[in-house]
Amino acid sequence: MAQENLNPTAPADDHDEARRTFLKQTSVLTALALTPGPVVQAAAAQWDEKVAAAFEKVPLKLDINGKKYRLQVEPRTTLLDLLREQLHLTGTKKGCDYGQCGACTVHVDGQRVNSCLTLAVMQDGRKVTTIEGLAEGDKLHPMQEAFIKHDGFQCGYCTPGQIMSAVACIREGHANSEGEIREYMSGNICRCGAYPNIVAAIQEVKNGGQKV
Amino acid sequence: MNQFQYVRPTKQKAAIEALARDANAQFIAGGTNLLDLMKRGVMQPQKLVDINRLPLNKIERMDGGIRIGALALNSAVAEDQLVQQQLPLLAQALNAGASAQLRNMATVGGNMLQRTRCHYFYDTALPCNKREPGSGCGALEGINRMHAIFGFSDKCIAVHPSDMSVALAALDATVLVSGPKGERRIAFLDFHRLPGDTPQKDTNLEQGELVVAVEVPENAFPKNVHYLKVRERASYAFALVSVAAALQLDGNTIKAARLAMGGVAHKPWRLTEAEAALVGKPATEETFRQAAAVAMQGAKAFKHNAYKLKLAPNSIVQALKNAAGLA
Amino acid sequence: MKEQLLQDGKAVGDRMSRVDGRLKVTGAATYSAEYALPNLVHAVLVGSTIAKGRIRSIDTKAAERAPGVLAVITHVNSPKVPGFAAKQNPDEPPTIGQPLRVFYDDKIYFNDQPIAVVVADTLERARYAAGLVKTQYAAEPHQTNFEANKARGFLPTQAKRNPKSPQNDYDRGQKDGYQSAPVKLEAEYVHESEMHNPMELQSIIAHWEAPDRLTVYDKVQAVKGTQRAFAKDWALPEENVKVIATFVGGAFGNGLHNWPHETAAIIAAKVTNRPVKLVLTREQMFTMVGYRPKTWQRVAMGATRDGKLVGITHECIGQTSSYEEFTESSVQQTRMMYAAPNVSTRYRILGLDISTPIWMRGPGEATGAFALESAIDEMAHLLNLDPLEFRLRNHTDTDPEKNKPWSTKYLKECFQAGAERIGWSKRRMQPGTLREGDWLVGYGMGVGTFGANRGVAKVRAVLRADGSVLLQSATTDIGPGTGTAMVQIAADALGLSPDKIRFELGNSTFPTAPSQGGSSTVNTVGSAVLAACTELKQKLQQLGGAAFAGAAPDQLTLAGGQLGLRTNAAAKASLADLRKQNNGQDIEVTTEAKPGDARQKYSMYSFSVHFAEVRVHALTGEVRVTKMVSCADAGTIVNQKTAGSQMIGGAIGGIGMALHEGALMDDRFGRYVTKDLADYHVPVHADAPPVEVFFVNKPDTLVDPIGTKGIGEIAIIGVAPAIANAIFNATGKRVRELPITPDKLI
Repeated sequence: MAQENLNPTAPADDHDEARRTFLKQTSVLTALALTPGPVVQAAAAQWDEKVAAAFEKVPLKLDINGKKYRLQVEPRTTLLDLLREQLHLTGTKKGCDYGQCGACTVHVDGQRVNSCLTLAVMQDGRKVTTIEGLAEGDKLHPMQEAFIKHDGFQCGYCTPGQIMSAVACIREGHANSEGEIREYMSGNICRCGAYPNIVAAIQEVKNGGQKV
Repeated sequence: MNQFQYVRPTKQKAAIEALARDANAQFIAGGTNLLDLMKRGVMQPQKLVDINRLPLNKIERMDGGIRIGALALNSAVAEDQLVQQQLPLLAQALNAGASAQLRNMATVGGNMLQRTRCHYFYDTALPCNKREPGSGCGALEGINRMHAIFGFSDKCIAVHPSDMSVALAALDATVLVSGPKGERRIAFLDFHRLPGDTPQKDTNLEQGELVVAVEVPENAFPKNVHYLKVRERASYAFALVSVAAALQLDGNTIKAARLAMGGVAHKPWRLTEAEAALVGKPATEETFRQAAAVAMQGAKAFKHNAYKLKLAPNSIVQALKNAAGLA
Repeated sequence: MKEQLLQDGKAVGDRMSRVDGRLKVTGAATYSAEYALPNLVHAVLVGSTIAKGRIRSIDTKAAERAPGVLAVITHVNSPKVPGFAAKQNPDEPPTIGQPLRVFYDDKIYFNDQPIAVVVADTLERARYAAGLVKTQYAAEPHQTNFEANKARGFLPTQAKRNPKSPQNDYDRGQKDGYQSAPVKLEAEYVHESEMHNPMELQSIIAHWEAPDRLTVYDKVQAVKGTQRAFAKDWALPEENVKVIATFVGGAFGNGLHNWPHETAAIIAAKVTNRPVKLVLTREQMFTMVGYRPKTWQRVAMGATRDGKLVGITHECIGQTSSYEEFTESSVQQTRMMYAAPNVSTRYRILGLDISTPIWMRGPGEATGAFALESAIDEMAHLLNLDPLEFRLRNHTDTDPEKNKPWSTKYLKECFQAGAERIGWSKRRMQPGTLREGDWLVGYGMGVGTFGANRGVAKVRAVLRADGSVLLQSATTDIGPGTGTAMVQIAADALGLSPDKIRFELGNSTFPTAPSQGGSSTVNTVGSAVLAACTELKQKLQQLGGAAFAGAAPDQLTLAGGQLGLRTNAAAKASLADLRKQNNGQDIEVTTEAKPGDARQKYSMYSFSVHFAEVRVHALTGEVRVTKMVSCADAGTIVNQKTAGSQMIGGAIGGIGMALHEGALMDDRFGRYVTKDLADYHVPVHADAPPVEVFFVNKPDTLVDPIGTKGIGEIAIIGVAPAIANAIFNATGKRVRELPITPDKLI
């Protein structure tokens, strides 16, 4: 089932023609835009938008939390904005939008990344796991349980990113000491200052030997 | 962020051609710096050529050294056994950079090609000759506590932000590039440039050239190395000053040394004269102090970064102490 | 009327996990930008690029024509906000002055002031189009440099108008009486502006459900206050404005004011007739939603040679905007903290061409404590006294400012517990003499205090057919775990298991409660929960008939789906029967609780002391806080786990204040240059040491019937000086300017 997703297609060539057509169209529109007047405004309002909507998007296949998506997205859409604004998977948070806080951390093909600093199209064919995909049904992931037990959060906003990062931290083998955890979790900022509790949660899961 | 054309070639030749067709095109690899800059309107490419599916991520032995593919992820290089054994300085420098997530995204080529983090470069409402030639250097008379003490010009006093590049500069790496005119090699020390009158150019890459790999020659520094990064918090911050130090010791005598600094110039700042001052001397704090003094010759500070005149030599001493096992 | 005290029970004091923990760890908790409304569109703000002047022209054509754009709104075409005209000088909290009226006219008051909002069908399109708005300005010279303008500091208007305002000048004993002391010191302390920077970006969804009915999903700390503000702005009855803030992703004070972006979104929703989502960028978090203002302070102190304070003079100037007078209590703790016969305080504000500040965690007091507690440490050093001993010699068992007894004060217990836990005995009297390898080791302490405030709140309590109890109040939870604490209080009040109780908040249609701020939520709303539960039981008692007549409320229990009596196991009334007596309806009460007159007789404060162990690198000046112990005299601790987290969080916030935080402005442009989380550093995991927390945990039932005094502020107040003092102890270098970055130590 996951096989298809591990073999990314290369849609670039597929839509290159469409792109060229669009670029031609937009030059026309640009020229038109230089000519003010009600006719052009009407054209711009209706035509421009429809043309743009049709041509500015590219096809995208993603597996998100085990569910397959076939999408059309603008290339400039980040993975984060795709998740939050189009797919309503709002568990992944926007804290800075510049890769400076870690609130948007998700796993792509099992690796933790900042979803705000990657374009959705760059992840075509990949397998994305967000906080919504971590629990198995009603059964929480051990890391989620440990965060609750150790109070590894207050406001909860950085929490999904912390948890995704924490799971990866153990999987990567970087949770062998308090100091190592702190260093390898430093890409996830918690302004409420729950850090010691988060470290305690990670240590418990790591020492508990549960599969993460 | 502006709209742009997006293409994702799977072959190197196609990628280079895709870029060559368009003057305002950019390669995108990890995207961790380019997208950041695009979101703020600092860079507005009309076309992105996604090179992530090119087969350029191998880390392998080659004749006389190790070749690291340009698309090897920072985390993959830092965790690579060969790198850890033979280039521990590089592994340390990589792990000092950014965060675990960013290291999972950023590539070797992209890391080298990072733009400066100068505040004025980042804010399109402020002057910056690097972003907008002729608009002036905002930092020169502005807030310049992060800025250069070596190699700056009156057009630009920004520093290069990469940690990895400081280690590669110390280790005499070579950059393999490929472009419309074919392949060529650029010595790492010639890869980045000083700002002079054209700070908009960070490197000596030519239009359309793609970084393919970095080659690090065999060296005598499998141990006694240290990458010291002094920053304003304990992790996940750019360097105030960083030092890549490597020593080859014969007993207590220094047989060979490599030293480079980050956070002090528009490019990774190799300290060959200081290296020479170390060779043949005993590995003592006193020797290191003398070398640091050599390293600092010609340094000049601005209003807010005079502390670097003291921090930089102190950091050199500390890095060498750590490398020599004196700390 | 004497309030019913909280019955001893199992729930209060327990380390219960958060009632909303599961929602938060699964990503299911919904924050203000996360409501999926049909037809929702996106708004992006455009900020000015000058600090002062006028907009000469604003060209929106390119933006309007960009794909997907629905509206571009500026002062030229913005619909009139009715309240803007009427609201000249509204003299309302939190500030005196005229809050910025967004898109009202062409005037620019600060750099990055919102001057346009672009609305489009997608976020990407709105953001792109926002970059197409081109503005021409008639710039005027601006003043943003604090030092250059310091002499213009003035007494706040509220003090001029009201002689009783605590912002007035204060003199006890002799004015500047410290001068007569044999040992004197005088020092100036400065910190840069600090940004709240909660992890959630400020965001709002504004939705006009009808032309006269507005709903906002808004990141605020006061749903009722926000409701009132927008009702006034739009000339609507309050009930026509609904404010939802179910989850707030941190705020630390910046949700205590309503800001221009909120009104911009409401205007945009009006113009487009669509629900509009507006999320600030991280840069805009530095200019549009307040900050802890930069301050300059001077402390002069005199003591006898045997360590008795003769006098303290504490002056402070805090910056504010040119259009609002923001004030905070930076010097007030100096009046009551130590037994000094002579105390003088002066507080001034300085209006600059910058945006308006707002309270940031431990407001004022955290600022003031940096100066006062650093100076105390400096004086102890001058006297060659252990700073803990020096504080003990000047301890006061009554409030020397108000001449009243403390309601409770267990600060000495905190000193003792903290000193033991940090290993104070390892501290060297001579600075710079304890070393581990290349690292200099030092220990420091700082005291914090904050008023044990309590306001008025109402709570609705409903006993439902399934035996569960629903509580509602229009408070908010910015992170401390309000719902959890309320459930615990209700569980003990009702004699009911916590899992049968649900507490709902963050909705302006619920019974009124004040903002979540000033460490007063449990004092205020918790008391109302207790009162409502008590009244609910009394109602049940009436419905239960003769078996329960005459029983005191605290003898009634609700366990097992029936009304019971602690004193008589035989007395039982099933819920079904009680409902029958209530015509089959849910049994419901709405109860108000307010503070009594004990406030006139006692001085009420929480106290804390923080101990820090630091290592300073001898060559690089890097500082690592390696251990902290935070001790609090905060009354009853409702939940040891969440209260502990608040203390830990305050300690780590204080590490940021001491070592990292400070927004730098280029005064030539009046524009911040450090304005994202890469340039403006807040602590990361690697900066956070283990923090040991100690609570005295003795109730103060004069403050409220639960015995709580408040935690949120004292968790951070006193931390920064503890660290600064530890750095002095490690290095012998006294740094009086925050943040203490390596450049200040090498």
